[in-house]
Amino acid sequence: MDYAATTPVDPRVIEAMVQCLGPDAVFANAASTHGLGLVAKGLIEQARSDIAARVGAHADEIVFTSGATESNNLALKGTFGEELPHNSRLLTTRIEHKSVLDSAEQVARRGVAVEYLVTDACGRVDLDALASTLQAKATALVSVMHVNNEIGTWQEIEAIAALCRAHGALLHVDAAQSVGKLPVLLEDWGVDFCSLTAHKICGPKGIGALYVRRGRRLAAQLHGGGHEHGLRAGTLATHQIVGMGASYALAEPASEMPEIERLSQRLWAGLAAIEGVARNGSAATSIPNIVNVRFPGVDGESLRLALADLAVSAGSACNSADVEPSYVLKSLGLSDVAAAGSLRFSIGRFTTESEIDRAVERATEEVSRLRSLAPNAPNWCLS
Amino acid sequence: MDYSTEVRRRFAAAVPNWVDHSDGVVVVAEAEDRTLGLWVRCHMRVVDSTIASVAFEVFGCPDSIAASSLIAERLSGRSIKTLDQIDVRRVAVELSIPTEKLGKLLRMEDAVLACKALVDAD
Repeated sequence: MDYAATTPVDPRVIEAMVQCLGPDAVFANAASTHGLGLVAKGLIEQARSDIAARVGAHADEIVFTSGATESNNLALKGTFGEELPHNSRLLTTRIEHKSVLDSAEQVARRGVAVEYLVTDACGRVDLDALASTLQAKATALVSVMHVNNEIGTWQEIEAIAALCRAHGALLHVDAAQSVGKLPVLLEDWGVDFCSLTAHKICGPKGIGALYVRRGRRLAAQLHGGGHEHGLRAGTLATHQIVGMGASYALAEPASEMPEIERLSQRLWAGLAAIEGVARNGSAATSIPNIVNVRFPGVDGESLRLALADLAVSAGSACNSADVEPSYVLKSLGLSDVAAAGSLRFSIGRFTTESEIDRAVERATEEVSRLRSLAPNAPNWCLS
Repeated sequence: MDYSTEVRRRFAAAVPNWVDHSDGVVVVAEAEDRTLGLWVRCHMRVVDSTIASVAFEVFGCPDSIAASSLIAERLSGRSIKTLDQIDVRRVAVELSIPTEKLGKLLRMEDAVLACKALVDAD
């Protein structure tokens, strides 16, 4: 129930990766010019092509990184390199992943003006407000995630890209949660930079990529070898890259999402039967594999411990160790108590109907038990 | 968050267990701290100046729920006259509750002492 945090590696992906591990495998350094190095390079370039094909890009626009966090850092910090552009303004939202928000703070310390776009109660960017801001203020970069990792809300990237293009701003998109769930058409949409990862779609952890549109420039953040067009130094992790390529080749939304949508509807139907339960975000503007639910009258910390056996999350896995309520849910207007009393259920390729039913049963039991411990709780506990 | 084994045990076992009204005096008092996310209502039955039973309603974290169960156990059988405070720090140590949560346990103490005040005034 925590596929938005990470996913199990698909056995077919493992099979592809194993061909790059062990003394008789393709373990050579892909930068080596000998025969074994060229074999490794061939596997890497095949993976690069498979990844590019999944996101509507050219293979030479894919730069491998350690994951979406590094990609987000590279896109934001790399745009505002050693010399700040004349229009050194960054627009983003308050519901981005921490790796975008923290990178935005870093560039702000260097003198970049950072502003936060208005989002509605479901987390959607207000396009009129974006247009007005771009019209009024010269902007170098807009950074918006395709799908929010806590509530599943998707943004209208094509429309946002059109506005950015019309006003001379570059667009960076964090697509960590959308690949494999929604079609991603980076070239057609006019996206300039896009962060990608493998481990959200049954690929390995520790590998990701940044899409850099042809003709766009970034300042490298890692130096020492000139790998990846000089944008990201370091020996390429052949097995990881091959795993990422295999996971992208397998992640076809049209074939996978109908079953996930059916399970998601079953999950929400079951949870909605619990008195007072409400959904954070909207099914109409969310991908189906993420269902974020608030349970009024139940303390969030207690709910998380009570349902520890379900492996559900309070929100982003990056923040779940913290007892603070989700900053994403608070940005949407929820109170501290309501945000803390919310859980993210996220499902994926290997989720079964019986797991859905078990989750509903356990949530129903534990919410009832915890509410019974404070039957006369005042209204602020019920918000 | 990490919880001690005893907190986990008491939290998992927590079910409504209200005081009966068979005899003696039953008093009820509340305390809360919204910034800490805690609301607690203490039910106390006193028979002949002895605390016969205590139960808490708790909206709060697992540590708070576990602490309420231990405090209820410790109070039962004590004389109401000698009840000037509960050593919540000792409860925290016993349950390995982190010090940053001590404020929540102090609100429980507030509710208990408010119950005592009601008995004294009766």
